[in-house]
Amino acid sequence: MKFAASQAYLHTRVSAMATRLFKPDTLALLAQRRAEELAAEYDLTAALESQLPVKARSRAVEQALINTLLAELRILIRPMEAPERTLILDWGRHYALANLKTLIRGKLHDLDRKVIADNLYELPHNLRLPMQDSLFQAENVLELLRQLEGGPYSFIARQARVVFERKQEPFALEAAIDQRYLTGLVRDMAPFTDRHCPCLRRLIGALLDRLAILWLLRFRFSYQLSSSETFFQLVPSVRRLHRERLLALVNLDSFAAVLAALPPPFQVLLAESRDLMDVQRRLNAYLRGEALDVIHEGQTGVARALAYLILREQDLMALFSLIQGRLLELPAEVIKVAIETSSARCRLSERQAA
Amino acid sequence: MLRPTPMKHVRLLVIDEDLPRASLTLAELASFHADDRPPEEDGFAGQPSGAYRDIWRQASSRLEKITRLIPLPPEERTPSPRVIPEEELTATNNWLGSLWETCSRYEEEFRAIDDEERLIREQQSALSNFEGLGIDLGMLRSKTRFLDFYVGLVPYANVRQLEGAVGLADHLLFQYMVTGDDAHVVIVGPSGAKEAQLESVLRSAGFRPLPIPPELDHEPQVMRAELARRREGAAAQREALHQRLRDWSTALTGQLTSSREVLRLAEPLVQLDSAIRGVGPLARLAGWVPAAAVPALEARLRQTLSLPFDLSSRDPRPDERPLVPTISTRNRLLAPFAMLVQQYGIPRYGEIDPTPLFAASFLLMFGTMFGDVGQGAVIAGLAWYFRARLGRFYLFGVLAGVSSIAFGFLFGSVFGFEHWLPALWMPPLHDPLLMLSLALGWGVFFITMACILATYNRLVIGNWAGALFGQHGLVNLIFYLALAWGGFNLSQGQAFGQGPLLLVVLSLGVLAWHGWGHLDAPVGEKVLVVFIETLETIVGYISNTLSFLRVAAFSLNHAALALAIFTLAEMMGPVGHGLTLILGNVFMIVLEGGIVMIQVLRLEFYEGFARYFAGDGHAFNPLRLGPPRERESLP
Repeated sequence: MKFAASQAYLHTRVSAMATRLFKPDTLALLAQRRAEELAAEYDLTAALESQLPVKARSRAVEQALINTLLAELRILIRPMEAPERTLILDWGRHYALANLKTLIRGKLHDLDRKVIADNLYELPHNLRLPMQDSLFQAENVLELLRQLEGGPYSFIARQARVVFERKQEPFALEAAIDQRYLTGLVRDMAPFTDRHCPCLRRLIGALLDRLAILWLLRFRFSYQLSSSETFFQLVPSVRRLHRERLLALVNLDSFAAVLAALPPPFQVLLAESRDLMDVQRRLNAYLRGEALDVIHEGQTGVARALAYLILREQDLMALFSLIQGRLLELPAEVIKVAIETSSARCRLSERQAA
Repeated sequence: MLRPTPMKHVRLLVIDEDLPRASLTLAELASFHADDRPPEEDGFAGQPSGAYRDIWRQASSRLEKITRLIPLPPEERTPSPRVIPEEELTATNNWLGSLWETCSRYEEEFRAIDDEERLIREQQSALSNFEGLGIDLGMLRSKTRFLDFYVGLVPYANVRQLEGAVGLADHLLFQYMVTGDDAHVVIVGPSGAKEAQLESVLRSAGFRPLPIPPELDHEPQVMRAELARRREGAAAQREALHQRLRDWSTALTGQLTSSREVLRLAEPLVQLDSAIRGVGPLARLAGWVPAAAVPALEARLRQTLSLPFDLSSRDPRPDERPLVPTISTRNRLLAPFAMLVQQYGIPRYGEIDPTPLFAASFLLMFGTMFGDVGQGAVIAGLAWYFRARLGRFYLFGVLAGVSSIAFGFLFGSVFGFEHWLPALWMPPLHDPLLMLSLALGWGVFFITMACILATYNRLVIGNWAGALFGQHGLVNLIFYLALAWGGFNLSQGQAFGQGPLLLVVLSLGVLAWHGWGHLDAPVGEKVLVVFIETLETIVGYISNTLSFLRVAAFSLNHAALALAIFTLAEMMGPVGHGLTLILGNVFMIVLEGGIVMIQVLRLEFYEGFARYFAGDGHAFNPLRLGPPRERESLP
């Protein structure tokens, strides 16, 4: 397919798929419905109706929703050229990395093999970990990482192994994996010309800005890491939270000071946030806004496709939280906090007022 | 030969305890292709062999890892069948687990030697680099009262981030060399409070210190010799480790071979895992077996199973036909042609196996298009000479060459010379129009046969509508034959003819009516689609028939190319003449032979297979016992 034709096809596909995205009030409306009704509407009845325990049903729902997302991803990459396809597939590989982390945790804590297997996502061939079965059979973390080093994940595996050999901490290991994954995503942007770049920069920049702020606050103030260690674990963004800005921010001593020193629009967006959950909720809304803008105004098919996938993933995961909440019979207000239709602080103040 | 081997669907109910024995028996007979579908009977939901499968997989993985370090001799024979109980499998797995623990320690020792060697190499590189610095390296070796020094390697990808991180701990990072994925760095900063912070960051960044030896201050050549000596030491250490491993593993080879045999014997049950369902103590197995092999299977099960069992078999239902595996041809001569057919697809059960037709028509067309005794003999001779390298495919080359030789005799052509041998028929260039007419006639016959096969293949699966009105079905065939009849009349200088015209109009009318009824669209769109489809039918059949003109065109081309080479050769001296003839023939064999083969395959696949061959079947892949190599060699 010629480039212009494939772009036209991709744009049409994204526009058609974008009609599936949740409207601003959709989640609030869905929150009022029963799990069975949600399952019927989103084709999850088979996953919900089995006689399995709640945890297994919840897992089946999550798997079904991930299958939906990845099936759409595979449709979107069909007309793409190699660099575009690589970028989108690499984005989708965060599920493979989630499997890798599950395997690592399983080996570290010597979990039962069935427990590990139950927690692995089933992924399509082009997104799953290479030699996953043989990784599953590895006897320990080092053996697992050494096996992975022989394949396309060598970039991630080598770094993870070196870190693990020197610092046998699960946190350092998983942080190294995440860091390499995001660095790879930034590297995937390199082949794109100036014509494609602004949209992609905006989108991937928003993704990295969000993570940089969240990780900075979490590592520095929740895990109490030093400023050096915090900075080393961060991935500089290609947009607002770039390297120099991160260097300045990690040196600040309080949560509030960091929020106050953030560049616009984050300074206003996160003003008066007191906890990480609230920051996360606001940053998710920010990322959603940026991705919607890319879908509506973007000129590049690959950026629009990625924006769609990011939004679709947010929607499907919110739907999963909603159904999981129903399965676990959690109170309605807790579910609303989980799906981010209200903040934890609002709920708390309401309860205090009552 | 064209009909598929009849298959039966069998269901075997056995008591759990007999499951390993039953799977072993099925594997021994190599006639059972598992059916993974969930059972139609209620209640069979559990997978009784789940634990057995997990143990087998872990044990196999361990054995595979161990044999990387302790190679085993290839499996020469199929092990004598015996049931492997779960306890024995578990014991084997545990033994392999403990063995792997030791093996992995060996592996780590090998890796440590590798790391040591790499470090020495890095030090050698650093040595050359330090020599040029002109600074007192003794200062970098140890901490001073006020300054911390770190000299070492860090993954190159981490340098930039580490530079920022150490900056936050008031240190500076200098990168002075890059080798492979690693960067050599010096980090320097004030001693004191932030040292612990820095240590943690360095570990996170994968920093490996590079010791600076005292000799470096004064005598680099001494250091160089020392490093070379250490490298030799590492090599000797590796050799010693290999020897230690050999000594240790020699006594284990026998037990490892036995473990491999245990796993091989336990494998059938694991392979059947997805086809086994259980309820209580009862296990259910289902699969496909050649009809002729069912009595032998039952008799063997009666001999081997100690507990009661039930074996029932039935013919495949029409809705199951797409799931029934097809046994490919076992004829040695047809085997290479079957390989080519399988490139297109595997015949669906019930479908005509196109391999014999493909082989016959391929050889006929190849010979016609490339008929030459000498060149055919070269092709056949080369295929024979390289038979070891070509495997079963060598017969394809031999047969193509023989066909070329046979047509070479008909055309009287030897390496392009048409006067060395009397033509049994005639050289193609003597009557090009006759050649073209024959090719056209062959095309009509070929397409007619393809339509008949397409109709038959649909009738077999009860698709009556498809057989009558579908693409290349009976109505299409009537239209095509009427068109050919009319065309023949025209070629004889007569009118198209009322009979053929009536048949053409009627058949097209039926096709249009059928198409109209199957369209769910507004009237305007229906008219347009039916009109275009009808036009496409007419144009398609005419162009597809004309496509066969290439059979004659290439036979003429072959003779014309030979003429061109002779003309060129005539213009040369005696040496040039001979060289031109040799190179010309090489050119014809390689280039023209290749093109002709592609053209014939194109005719077979596009004009033949595309009409009647769905190719969406499954190959018969029965459960077998024995090493993988032995399994591959079985038909």
